[in-house]
Amino acid sequence: MSEENRQIDKIGEAFEQEFGRFADLKLDSIGIGDAEAFLREVGELKVKHTGKKSAIAEAKKLIGKVSPEERGAFGQQVQSIESTMTSQIAEAETRLKAFIAKAKTESERLDVTIPGRRARTGHLHPMTIVRQKIEDIFVSMGYAIEDDREIENDYYNFDALNIPEGHPARESQDTFYTTDGLALRSQTSTVQIRAMERRGAPIRILAPGRVFRRDTPDMTHTPMFHQLEGLCVDKGITMAHLKGTVTEWLQRLFGKDTKTRFRPSYFPFTEPSAEFDFSCFVCHGTGKVEGQRCRPCKGSGWIELGGSGMVHPNVLRACNIDPTVYSGFAFGFGLERMAALMYSIDDIRHMYDNDVRFLEQFR
Amino acid sequence: MNISYNWLKELIDFDLPATELAENLTRIGLAVDGVHPAGDDFVFDIDLTSNRPDCLSHLGVAREIGVFRRQPLAKEPAVDPSPASIPYPSALAGDVVKIEDPELCYRFTARIIREVKIGPSPKWLIDRLETIVERSINNVADITNYVMHELGQPMHAFDLDKLSENRIVVRTARPGETIQTLDEVERKLDSSMLAICDAVRPVAVAGVMGGFDSGITENTRNVLLEVAYFDRRSIRRTSRKLNLTTEASYRFERGADIMNLQRASDRAADLIGLLAGGEPGEFVDVFPTPLTPNEVQSKDISAAVKRLTGIEVYAKECVQILAALGIAEKEPAVFVSPSWRHDIAIEEDLVEEVARHVGYDKITNELPPAYGAGEYQATEPQELAIRQVLVDSGFDEAVNYSFIDTKYDEIYETVPGLVDERIENRFVEIRDPVIEGAVRMRPTLLPGLVDAIRLNFNQQNKNLRLFELGKAFGAANSEDGLPNERELFALAITGSEISENRAMPGRELDFYDAKGAVESALETAGYLDLSFAAADVKHLRSGQSASILVSGKSVGTIGRLNEEIAGNYKFRQPVYVAEIDLQTVLSERPDPVRYAPLPRYPSVVRDVSFEVNRYTTFDSIRNAIAEEGIELCRGVSFVDVYEGKGERSLTIRIEYRSDERTLIQDEVDQVHASLVRVVEERVKIKQRI
Repeated sequence: MSEENRQIDKIGEAFEQEFGRFADLKLDSIGIGDAEAFLREVGELKVKHTGKKSAIAEAKKLIGKVSPEERGAFGQQVQSIESTMTSQIAEAETRLKAFIAKAKTESERLDVTIPGRRARTGHLHPMTIVRQKIEDIFVSMGYAIEDDREIENDYYNFDALNIPEGHPARESQDTFYTTDGLALRSQTSTVQIRAMERRGAPIRILAPGRVFRRDTPDMTHTPMFHQLEGLCVDKGITMAHLKGTVTEWLQRLFGKDTKTRFRPSYFPFTEPSAEFDFSCFVCHGTGKVEGQRCRPCKGSGWIELGGSGMVHPNVLRACNIDPTVYSGFAFGFGLERMAALMYSIDDIRHMYDNDVRFLEQFR
Repeated sequence: MNISYNWLKELIDFDLPATELAENLTRIGLAVDGVHPAGDDFVFDIDLTSNRPDCLSHLGVAREIGVFRRQPLAKEPAVDPSPASIPYPSALAGDVVKIEDPELCYRFTARIIREVKIGPSPKWLIDRLETIVERSINNVADITNYVMHELGQPMHAFDLDKLSENRIVVRTARPGETIQTLDEVERKLDSSMLAICDAVRPVAVAGVMGGFDSGITENTRNVLLEVAYFDRRSIRRTSRKLNLTTEASYRFERGADIMNLQRASDRAADLIGLLAGGEPGEFVDVFPTPLTPNEVQSKDISAAVKRLTGIEVYAKECVQILAALGIAEKEPAVFVSPSWRHDIAIEEDLVEEVARHVGYDKITNELPPAYGAGEYQATEPQELAIRQVLVDSGFDEAVNYSFIDTKYDEIYETVPGLVDERIENRFVEIRDPVIEGAVRMRPTLLPGLVDAIRLNFNQQNKNLRLFELGKAFGAANSEDGLPNERELFALAITGSEISENRAMPGRELDFYDAKGAVESALETAGYLDLSFAAADVKHLRSGQSASILVSGKSVGTIGRLNEEIAGNYKFRQPVYVAEIDLQTVLSERPDPVRYAPLPRYPSVVRDVSFEVNRYTTFDSIRNAIAEEGIELCRGVSFVDVYEGKGERSLTIRIEYRSDERTLIQDEVDQVHASLVRVVEERVKIKQRI
């Protein structure tokens, strides 16, 4: 072996000596910092052993100086050493870069299940939500929304509604009176009277509002609650229009397959009078949910909702509307009951506690 | 009311299973809430409306069944009111029964039954009463109860030998008179109450309950059976005053059948003879006040039914239904209501009778013909916008009762103009509250919100933003005597900012969060000319309170709840509240929205800090700059307040811009320097270098 051959072998040996630990580097137990340091070192060794000023670069210059007959073998030897070094370095770099990239990805991996960042949103009161839904339906059917006084005199709360003196509803047992003898309105029908006085006939109004009755609070009663009443007075209005209107809005609220049922009843301000029920929106009138008795309708398939009827001629007359020319229907129901049904609220007293744990359940 | 299926079958021979009967009764307006098996019988729980006392008996329900089954009642004896028809010897009325108040007692019958043997009832009677959930007492008491449930007529049996002079006087009670009623309660009577008396004292509260002393006992031998008709209002009044509702008062106050007394008395006497071995004696019928049956005009009942319900029913069928109900067509176009119906007065009543028996289900569903456009209340869109902007910024909507305790009267200041201080009783008060102490119609929404804060604190919720829209009340010297009602808007905040679904609270809320909410609410509603002026407010902490002005008009207050109120609630963190007379605000036209052309040249801003004390306000600095009216100065905004080492400085940012050219630095510096000097001179403060 010539001096040159030995020099080349030394270059190889020197590389092996310095780079050997990277050739079979174990990455299992190192951190990202170690890997980056290694990568830098590999880079330095790359320059040192394969760069322009490296021993191998010097050796390449010798190729031309070697005798022609040995030149081929020498050149091969140089190239072989060089390619061994380059490939070992490249492999180490690739491994280290991949390791670093992977480690970086891992270190920045996000928990995408952590809740999004946003300020807490507030909540409308369930009364507002339900009221708005129903108002929207009626406005689209040509009704004007009305409200009026909450403290009324007996004329508006009773007389004009054909509730005569001595009628049980007038007793202080059921109605709140102020010390001045005024009544806290016990039904929103007072709004009908004032609206008919103002607007005359024909008229279509929907009156949602607070009403007051002397009920001690329990799961289904509160001394203050909300009622919603509709009134339609025009020439030629019949109970068919009452049934059609009530059915229409209940179908818009609870779905097209909702059915209604009208039962004869009694209210001083309507004649004929009817209570109305609608087919249960949970069990769709079957009375059963997964074999169990349906809760909202208590297994009957029907939910009792409110009262209705044809406006009593005395009420029309009290508002200077001629009952021989005009007829009209009215209906009403309690919003708390409606909300309790829609949201399965078991105790309507919650509506007025303003416990945030309750309020934040409604959207 | 409980009705026995088998008992009905004794009164009318019909062929309908219990469940189907229940459906039919509900359909015609006798709402059956439940059908419960009871041995070989069924009990119907019927919820009757107050206008149908005639159905408070098996006879009444049977009558309705007869109408829809088109069947006559079984075995109903013809009632012939002539004296000759009375099966028992009659006595001279005045000797035994005297009615002093014929306007309260329309008719009174008494029957003497001698030599009865009081004892237990036979099993069939006990069973029958138990079926309809009535307790058996003794044969005579059970018979009166039985006949009431059968025929609807309440009655009362006296021990004849305990009646002084063996006679009855029907009169109003004398002042100071008392009676121990059958339930062994001593009751004070007054002169508005009708009493059944013997020669000396009251022996029953008429139509409500008998007296204990004159009641039937096992030693009773001779019975006086009272079957009467009383004025409905009088019974209701007495029952309410005594706070005593009985099966009898319930029927009398709704109206019994004045022509049914004798039949009921006969039936009871027969049964007593049969079951207690009594010997029926004299019968007395005093009838000073006849009831004229209502006559109802209806020229074309078929047309009336069509007009109100839309259903076509031939006149003949209408008349048939009415006749089956006992409503006879006396002469063409005139119908007469039967003695057991008190609710048939006008043609519409006849229409209902026809319609409910034809069936409301025969009425079609139709929408009324199209009409004008619908509309919300004038201020509703603004109120909705306010609600929405508050909800979007984290507020929950509260709704409180309109009545609150009077203890808040002097604690809270009310919005301007709601409560008239010149009126002696300036608040509205209700009588007889159902929630203890809550007699005040709230003049402010704030106590409700602050109470709600306490409730939530107790549930470990410390970070709260609540608002409410609702009416408040104040007395008024109005012409119609009605008080002021005003729609208010109030809010309350406390604690820290919170994020949805994240446990760690953020920055602590302060005055400016409350103010910001008020600003966004009112601006959303369209009112941009808002200002806040430091002011002392009764319920707010001095130095952290202000009045709220819209277009220069004071409409409410804002600030931190004062230490006294917070202390009473044991609040350990500040609470900020605001209340605004929303009705007054919304009664003004909102500020119009106008487009301003976009600037063509960039603006330049300069920040400047001033050394200030706690009385120098941001507004005073801004106003000083505005008053200077420099064209290039386009706006002043707040940057920060710095406090430390006894120093306080306020940093503002001034924006400069020209519509003609891009400003150069030197020009801005010059104008800015002169403005800073203006502020220093006008507000008497120094720039902080």
